[in-house]
Amino acid sequence: MAEVMVFAERQGDSLAEVTYELLAAGRQLSEALGCELSALLVGPGAGGLASGLGSADVVVCAEDPQLAHFTPDGTLQVLEAAVQERSPRLVLLPSTSQGLDLAAPLAARTGLPLVAYCRELWAEDGVVVARSQVYGGKLMVEVALPERGIACLLPGSVSAEAGRAPGTPRVEFLSVPAVSARARFRQRFEPEAGDVDITREDILVAVGRGIGDRENLSLVEELAEALGGAVCASRPLVDSGWLPKNRQVGKSGLVVKPKLYLAVGISGAPEHLEGMKDSELIVAVNTDARAPIFDVAHYGVVADLFDFLPALTEAVRQRKG
Amino acid sequence: MLTPLERVLFLALAAGCLAYAAVGFRQVFAAIRRGHGGFPRDRWPQRLARTAVQVLAHQTLWRTRRPVAVFHAFILFAFTDYFLVNVADLVEGFTGFSAAHRGGVWGIYNLVADVLSVLALVGMTYFLVRRFVFRPKSFRFNPQVMLLPGVEAGIRRDSLVVGGFILFHVGSRWLGQAFKLAAEGPDPWQPLASAVSTLFVGMPEQALEVGVHATWWVALGLILLFLPYFPRSKHIHLFFAPLNLALGLPQPPGRLEADGKGAARLEELPWRRILDAYACIMCNRCQDVCPAHQTGRSLSPAALEINKRYYLNRHLREFSRGAPSPPLWEYAISVDAVWACTTCSACVHVCPVGNAPMLDIVEIRKRLLEEGVVPDTNLQEVLVKLGKYGNSFGKPERQRGQWTKGLPFRVKDARRETVDVLWFVGDYASFDPRVQEVTRTVARLLHHAGVDFGILYEGERNSGNDARRVGEAGLFEVLAEHNIRLLDQATYRVILTTDPHSLNALRNEYQALGRRYPVVHYTEFLLQLLEEGRLKVVQPVGRRVTYHDPCYLARYNRVTEAPRGLLRRVGAELVEMPRNRENTFCCGAGGGRIWMREEPGERPSESRIREAATLGVDTFVVACPKDYTMYTDAVKTAGYEGRMVVCDVAELVAQAVGVRAEVLAQV
Amino acid sequence: MDVVVCCKLVPDLVEELEVNEAGTDLDWAAVRWVLNEFDDHALEEAFLLKESTGARVTVLVPEADGAEEVLYTALAKGADRAIRLTGLPPGAGSRALAAAFSQVLPSVGYDVILTGVQAVDDVDGQVGGLLSGMLGLPYVGVVTGVEVDWQARRAVVRKEYAGGVVEELEVDLPAVLGVQSARKPPRYAPVSRVRQLMREGKAEALPAELPAVPRAAVRRVFRPQTDRRAQILQGPAEQAAAQLVAILEERGLLRR
Repeated sequence: MAEVMVFAERQGDSLAEVTYELLAAGRQLSEALGCELSALLVGPGAGGLASGLGSADVVVCAEDPQLAHFTPDGTLQVLEAAVQERSPRLVLLPSTSQGLDLAAPLAARTGLPLVAYCRELWAEDGVVVARSQVYGGKLMVEVALPERGIACLLPGSVSAEAGRAPGTPRVEFLSVPAVSARARFRQRFEPEAGDVDITREDILVAVGRGIGDRENLSLVEELAEALGGAVCASRPLVDSGWLPKNRQVGKSGLVVKPKLYLAVGISGAPEHLEGMKDSELIVAVNTDARAPIFDVAHYGVVADLFDFLPALTEAVRQRKG
Repeated sequence: MLTPLERVLFLALAAGCLAYAAVGFRQVFAAIRRGHGGFPRDRWPQRLARTAVQVLAHQTLWRTRRPVAVFHAFILFAFTDYFLVNVADLVEGFTGFSAAHRGGVWGIYNLVADVLSVLALVGMTYFLVRRFVFRPKSFRFNPQVMLLPGVEAGIRRDSLVVGGFILFHVGSRWLGQAFKLAAEGPDPWQPLASAVSTLFVGMPEQALEVGVHATWWVALGLILLFLPYFPRSKHIHLFFAPLNLALGLPQPPGRLEADGKGAARLEELPWRRILDAYACIMCNRCQDVCPAHQTGRSLSPAALEINKRYYLNRHLREFSRGAPSPPLWEYAISVDAVWACTTCSACVHVCPVGNAPMLDIVEIRKRLLEEGVVPDTNLQEVLVKLGKYGNSFGKPERQRGQWTKGLPFRVKDARRETVDVLWFVGDYASFDPRVQEVTRTVARLLHHAGVDFGILYEGERNSGNDARRVGEAGLFEVLAEHNIRLLDQATYRVILTTDPHSLNALRNEYQALGRRYPVVHYTEFLLQLLEEGRLKVVQPVGRRVTYHDPCYLARYNRVTEAPRGLLRRVGAELVEMPRNRENTFCCGAGGGRIWMREEPGERPSESRIREAATLGVDTFVVACPKDYTMYTDAVKTAGYEGRMVVCDVAELVAQAVGVRAEVLAQV
Repeated sequence: MDVVVCCKLVPDLVEELEVNEAGTDLDWAAVRWVLNEFDDHALEEAFLLKESTGARVTVLVPEADGAEEVLYTALAKGADRAIRLTGLPPGAGSRALAAAFSQVLPSVGYDVILTGVQAVDDVDGQVGGLLSGMLGLPYVGVVTGVEVDWQARRAVVRKEYAGGVVEELEVDLPAVLGVQSARKPPRYAPVSRVRQLMREGKAEALPAELPAVPRAAVRRVFRPQTDRRAQILQGPAEQAAAQLVAILEERGLLRR
């Protein structure tokens, strides 16, 4: 019986947040399509983690010891074997570093069509429809998968709540031939633990390319200090070495949900928005009134930040006394 | 007067010194000839005449350090005279013919020699005291400036040797006259020597005789001994400075050399640049006017020339025989300094001996780019944007004409319609939001005056001026070829621009591609409109302002009076900046610097705002789009917000003639 | 020691992207084509490998407006061969392109295939991943550094994860690697050298057949509706700042 299969991304010994989002999306789709929802869990200890995937009907485990660490090629072999054996209607993968290594190769090897960068997925009369963002978020494309296919979901697109529903899924073990991984894990580098964990801060002042020169960071630092918050940045500034990696917000950085996110000189590229769009209060300062950041912000100030930042810092200081 | 033995000894000394000197001079010529380029054969009578006037009138020295120029004049005139004097003394030594106590022509000769000798001594004493007692800051280099080891000590030593030589040579000769007059009685045509001779009157005749011979030997012997020292000394400028001045600089000043592969080593430079090292007097005037050096950077045009010279001094034999030298960025100028140059050409303008260190720098940049050494990613990104979109902002071409949308009239498309004035707008005037307002103001003025003008819209590309100065000759060609194609197809009488960089390219640089375009700066054009009555002043501005001359307008293209005429006509009271007209101080944007990452420390534009603040004015008038952005920023970052406002000259004109300007800068 | 870099040109996002009349695709006529920025990084990694190990670098680019520029810039930066793939229309899609690459690559010869990890127009699948599946090669994406031991037929790569985590992996060759960013910023090629090479005409052309590939059916292409727009605080800086401070205080965000 055709099923919706979710690839459950692991983070060491637990499940990644995005897995619950996939399950939530998968649950909705499987109900609309009238089929089961399965979750594929790879690596040693998979059986033990299965209980965390309550929203799935069945958890398919492949516990090959060679896959203790995620390796692209090895995991792909298992995934391909699972897809060949179970012929799912739809395979759901996360659009993450792991997912990107799996989705396209899987599509090529199985001959299934692939839709990447999905923001929404639903079913209409037995047809799976995906809405994806393309061209840096400037356009959206809606595609239909009338028959079997693969979809890659962007993290943060779907609420994870439904995916965390408790339940007791069946556990099945996949019989796979031993994996011959042509890519092997060697070592892992954690980013240097900085003084500040921006994911725990209530107030963040985020700075982007609009700040101009490095020395102007002091304007931002003063404001952050006055507000009692921390400074974070978009990718370009971290790449240039102006701030350490542990301050980077975005798709390849950290995801933050502070009470206040003050985005200064940030245009609002999709990769950055992914990292902060769920913040409680978003205020954006930019000279370009058409910058995409204003689409997610609650309040905006169209001004030169060299005028606005000092004014705001002063106003905050005065109000705080 | 000399004994036979003395004559023989002298001739032997002369032969030895001349031979030794000849070797050195031959090596110097061979070294210079290693550089490429031809020797101009045209207009030598005019060149020599012009140089003679330049040198005798001290025109190039008079630009800065005027007291120094006066004392140098003493020495120069003394030395010029001493050619005659030394010959006459030589003749006297060998034939006994003495010019003393004679009247008429000889009398004048004696008087001149007498006075000039003393002036030379005074002058030389002044220079030695100035260098060793007062120690002006100019002689020091910024800490990060690359210097060959021993250069500073070498310069001091050289100064002492030359100073000593002049003092002893002139002093000895003059003392010799005093001794002679002590024996023969005073000479009314040599009052100063005669005065000193009274000290020696009463000395035994023998002693005076010895004195005469001794001073003769010291005076002429020092000349002989000094001859082989020339190749190692900055004093060789005696010969090479006038030569350098006679050869002149590229005309027009705004035009760079034809593009080759640039230079990494001394021998790959044009021979004129090697000659520069020998003409250099190591006075550091160029460093004093360099915006990079004056804001603490590692660039010193003086250090560049001095390092070249010292390298040549130390390796002359091998170099003159064709041995390869190390890349210049290893000993003469650091890579950081190469990229710090704004190509403002102040160093070229101020140099008393006609050197052009800036041209070396552009050659080195070409080679560095060739080898992929781009100083920072900002510049690289801009070069890519220029190549892709034809502008440094990375905006698509079709946005070029967007600034016209704020106007209540249509601006003609010069690609399709005939126009009288083709306005070449330029990147900053087209795309920078602040400057766009000025551009619209200029458009309104032209419209109000009934000028038939148009722009090239998407057809326009960056003129390529700064791309060339960054060392990207290929990119310059691509941009220029495109602009030329469009200009050739258009029908117009004159090209107008608000951008001095574009003006320079269109007027001067495009000649390398076979086009001489008639280009006028908007200040010249607006002034003309006022003079013709097509614009009329209805409300004089009545403000005290200062005006900043843009480098590419004032120094490169000698347009200084039109903006001033404009300011006068609109009723503004102009208080001149201390450094004005061709002595203007660069804002720091040129040479691609505006495309590079900012460095810590004071910016040239901030320094300039501070200079303006001392004048007691609150309005800083500019006539260049990049100046507008640089100074608007500088007012904020230097802390003068609210006390100084930056205004384009067009805004003042608009106010005066009653045309609504976009934003009238108010304090 | 053959490193092959598979590149593609993508619509330049600097321009306004127009949707065609039917609303089913981009208006290809209005598109300006630029090299996919991740492919530029893949090229840089290839050149770094060439410098450190003497590998030969071949660049493949499908035909499009601007492909010549890309090919000759690659040659100017040090590529040994630059090949233009003909026969593919714009808008053919990444999957078709990957299939076309897989057709010609055997004749070109490869030990390592580098490509950008993704592109702004690869909603039908990333070229690197698809290519690896078609050729049966191992694939690692989001790569930020490649080192190769040709003797041992192995590459050591750095793979980036979210939050700044980086893992080092060992990959058997031949393999396909999807590059996220090179160890150094892409180098600069002076325009004069590019023009010189253009005059010499060293780039080659290889025909490819437009393959049939599985595709999801595109129903529509549209501009995203942005229903939420920020409330803009008006006035000069001081006024807007005062308004913002009031809002923050209201929400209890100004506590010490």
